[in-house]
Amino acid sequence: MTIFLRFHDLTKSYYEGNVKRLVLQNAHAEFQPGEMTAILGKSGSGKSTLLNLISGIDAPDSGQIWVDGRNLASLPERERTLFRRARIGFIFQFFNLIPTLTVGENVSLPLELNRVPRPQAQKKAKDFLDSVGLADRWTTFPEKLSGGEQQRVALARALVHDPLLILADEPTGNLDEETGAQVMSLLAKLTREQDRTLLMVTHSAEAASYADRVLRLSHGQLVAER
Amino acid sequence: MLSLRTLLRHPIQFALMTLGIALGVAVMVGIDLANASAERAFDLSASAVTGRATHAIVAGSGGVDETLYVRLRTDPQWRGQFESAPTVRAFVASPQLGEIPFTLLGIDPFAEAPFRSYLGGGQGFDFQSIAPLLTQSGAILLSAPTAERYNLTPCMDEFNDSCRLELSINGKTRSAYLIGLLEPSNDFARRALDTLVITDIATAQSLTDTAGELTQIDLILPEDYDTAALTAALPAGNLLVASATRNDQVNTMTAAFRVNLTALSLLALLVGLFLIYNTMTFSVVQRRAMFGALRSLGYTREQVFGMVLGEAALVGALGACIGLGLGILLGQGAVQMVTQTINDLFFVVSVRGVQIPASSLLKGGLAGLFASLLAAAPPAWEAASVPPRLALSRAGLESKAGVAVNLAAVLGILAALAGGLILAIPTRDLIVSFTGTFAVIIGLAALTPFVTVTLMRLLNDPLAALFGLMGRLAPRNVIRSQSRTAVAVAALMIAVSVTIGVQVMIASFRTTVTLWLDQTLQGDLYIAAQGLSAARLDTPLAPEAVAIARSHPLAQSSAVVRVVSVETEFGSVDLVAATPDPLLDARILLEGNPEHVVREMKEGAILLSEPLAARLGIDSLNETFPLLTPEGWVQFPVAGIYADYASTRGTIRMDIDVYRSLWKDDTLNGVSLTLLSSADVDSVTADLRGQLIGFERVQVNPSGALRDDAIKIFDRTFAITTAMQLVTTLVAFIGVLSSLLALQLEKAREMGILRALGLTLAEMRRLTFWETGLLGASAGLLALPTGYILAWILIFIINQRSFGWTLQMQMEPLPFAQAFVLAVSAALLAAVYPAWRLSRMQTAEALRGE
Repeated sequence: MTIFLRFHDLTKSYYEGNVKRLVLQNAHAEFQPGEMTAILGKSGSGKSTLLNLISGIDAPDSGQIWVDGRNLASLPERERTLFRRARIGFIFQFFNLIPTLTVGENVSLPLELNRVPRPQAQKKAKDFLDSVGLADRWTTFPEKLSGGEQQRVALARALVHDPLLILADEPTGNLDEETGAQVMSLLAKLTREQDRTLLMVTHSAEAASYADRVLRLSHGQLVAER
Repeated sequence: MLSLRTLLRHPIQFALMTLGIALGVAVMVGIDLANASAERAFDLSASAVTGRATHAIVAGSGGVDETLYVRLRTDPQWRGQFESAPTVRAFVASPQLGEIPFTLLGIDPFAEAPFRSYLGGGQGFDFQSIAPLLTQSGAILLSAPTAERYNLTPCMDEFNDSCRLELSINGKTRSAYLIGLLEPSNDFARRALDTLVITDIATAQSLTDTAGELTQIDLILPEDYDTAALTAALPAGNLLVASATRNDQVNTMTAAFRVNLTALSLLALLVGLFLIYNTMTFSVVQRRAMFGALRSLGYTREQVFGMVLGEAALVGALGACIGLGLGILLGQGAVQMVTQTINDLFFVVSVRGVQIPASSLLKGGLAGLFASLLAAAPPAWEAASVPPRLALSRAGLESKAGVAVNLAAVLGILAALAGGLILAIPTRDLIVSFTGTFAVIIGLAALTPFVTVTLMRLLNDPLAALFGLMGRLAPRNVIRSQSRTAVAVAALMIAVSVTIGVQVMIASFRTTVTLWLDQTLQGDLYIAAQGLSAARLDTPLAPEAVAIARSHPLAQSSAVVRVVSVETEFGSVDLVAATPDPLLDARILLEGNPEHVVREMKEGAILLSEPLAARLGIDSLNETFPLLTPEGWVQFPVAGIYADYASTRGTIRMDIDVYRSLWKDDTLNGVSLTLLSSADVDSVTADLRGQLIGFERVQVNPSGALRDDAIKIFDRTFAITTAMQLVTTLVAFIGVLSSLLALQLEKAREMGILRALGLTLAEMRRLTFWETGLLGASAGLLALPTGYILAWILIFIINQRSFGWTLQMQMEPLPFAQAFVLAVSAALLAAVYPAWRLSRMQTAEALRGE
């Protein structure tokens, strides 16, 4: 089977004041297309850092990150950004909807960034909002929505431009158990329906239960858990 | 502690806020110091020469016959009833005294003691030391500090070159000899003597060519003295005036000029106030969660309110301190410009150094502090109103701001209308006029957010169609950042509209003056003697020089002019007696019939200048105007009102023959020649200059050179206005920069999300510039009509009421285009640093946690 996402010898460290903190140390992992993977780990174990490296938001100290045949670590910043814009969908723990844009505008944003003509962009965004059950909230501002609704809008935004890879950073971390379950089931459904690859970091065992495979990040290394 | 820490944690915001208030205070203090210095210099020189005199007998520029003084001292009717002292006064300049104007004061030492006690330390003169003053012609005294300043030492026994001063008086150079020094007994005496040259009355008469004449006779009348009998007994042509009133009349002439400068300086503070409001609001919004937490910990509303006001007080106090320092520096430059203008337009005054009255500093400091507190009060209230544990979201704030935008627009329209109504009140009170003007400006500024939002809505689709994502995102972001940017944009709008208003006013003024000069300077050559004031023709011309000029073979015709000071019921006024101009243009003659006016003037009618007519409230030609002639009061019919931009004091025009017959004075101050059409102006100029070389200070100028000089004076007058307008723009620029930085700080997370979604660094920078460019464009667009309205108010209301000048409004597209470009460029320039900071932003950091 083809490898869709692969990284090896990935090392990343931060300075906290004068103290160097090693977050990832020669980490290795491979992911297949259409696979849903959960990465578990304690707070501060480097889960979000890993997602930032895979998405190209951050650059590793050393190592390689191959996504769909391209080594992101070797690309300049602008290329990484353009790659992320076209191929990656992001879901955050705090939803991170743009507060000054309406729900419709938030969902359309990735399409607009990818220069999709406005009428098509709006139609597609509406379809995706419909698929998360929020078609009637097109002109609502995010602050008027509940946490669960905001995360559903974030799901629609992450998927609307047909990314190959979806990165989810604690998608249920800011939701109650029931809402978290609803969001996870929706995320799993949409990812599978559209045959996307999902990499999710979480410390929720419930959320991880939706994944095909579970890895644990500990002491800068990824180890298979399930 | 918390307040100080907050300020220190945001050093750039803190610095910008402090700088904004400092600049506002600096301009205010600088102008105040300059005004105060000029006013104080005038007061000092007035009180120095007036001394304790309560009244004076004056007789216009012809002077008082000295026999009247003898009569007052010897006639049993008056003797012993009051103190009297004769004086002869003139402005003099000398290369040995730095060429600055001094007052030559000729006195009778025997009569002086009750009047100007500082001359002799209250005990009269030490006659031993001043004997040469009485016995030797040309002897003068200076104060010891003045002599020391100019390295002058008095001659001990006999006159020699070491103590000789060349005094330039009425266009002639005369030698005077320093024979002694006056030691001022106190600080007042020191300052009073600072620019005085004291001499005996006979020497003064000899130096000024006024033998037998006195400038005035000073009197100290008992408090309940009946002045009617004295007035009735005075010979025709003499007038008893109260000294205080007379000084006030002169000083109030410059009041309008000073009020105008003060108003402009307050504008800079107003823009600074906007800046404080803007930054404090942002700082409060930024910390809403913290205020919520503090409230939940038990902080009362009053404590939170006090905390924010405490921050504002810190900024205000620091800004005010820096502003005071800058203001003193600014005052040094401004005082030169203010003094120059007063010398050009009003009267001769010399200001030595900037006076730094504690009241000016206190006023400026308190204004800065209170402006900061006032501007911070609404945001402080907002902070105090945060419910415990609640942090209102950005979108919530923006929807609140949306309501505020509409409310501000309604209130703005009401304020502008109220301003219009205030301006419509028929008054010459400048405070009322400026209150109306400020209400109109602030009202229109309050409309800025509404105009911005409307404009962005209109531009949304066209910009999106033209520029894609950036074109769509930018106007939307502008609409949704009103809570942060509205006030700064309003401040920028005010600054830019002031630029337009002032530029259009100056351009209109310049055009009007140029047209007026073209109409009035119809001769080809002008011959006059150079005096102390560049704008006034007040130096007599030697009769031989006049004869040489008028008899030049290439002169087709000539006109002559005599300028004197005459007494009216409203104080002394310049009388311009001239050969009537048969070509008096309707643009010059504002009231009256141009076809009849020359005949009427030959029959004895006079013309009043527009500023004089406006000052005295004369608008009907059916009135007569009384002037004090050597033959007593004479009523002159008013034949018309004419435009005169050379003086704001106001002048009266009279036929030279009428003047000569009444005043018996053949002296002239100027001659204009119209040359034969075949004559070459330059060669006649050179020829006459050659012929008149022996006459001191006589200048021969072609009309073009004179026009250029007049325009130079004009430009000098407005230099200070332009400088202050630039400072106002600078403060507004700081406001925009500060609010953009604030916005960028707050939008860091939003930008982080956009970066995560795939916005490149270049796109992010472009978005920032698009947003600020649009903000600048809305400020610029609204500044166009506001600037026009302001120009209209300045030209037709403020100028009219301040100086009595009617100007023709000159509308050129250039100032408007420049102002729009200025607004957009200021906004774009202010975005450079925030954009640079944004591009250094760590996306991962920005995304991390709430």
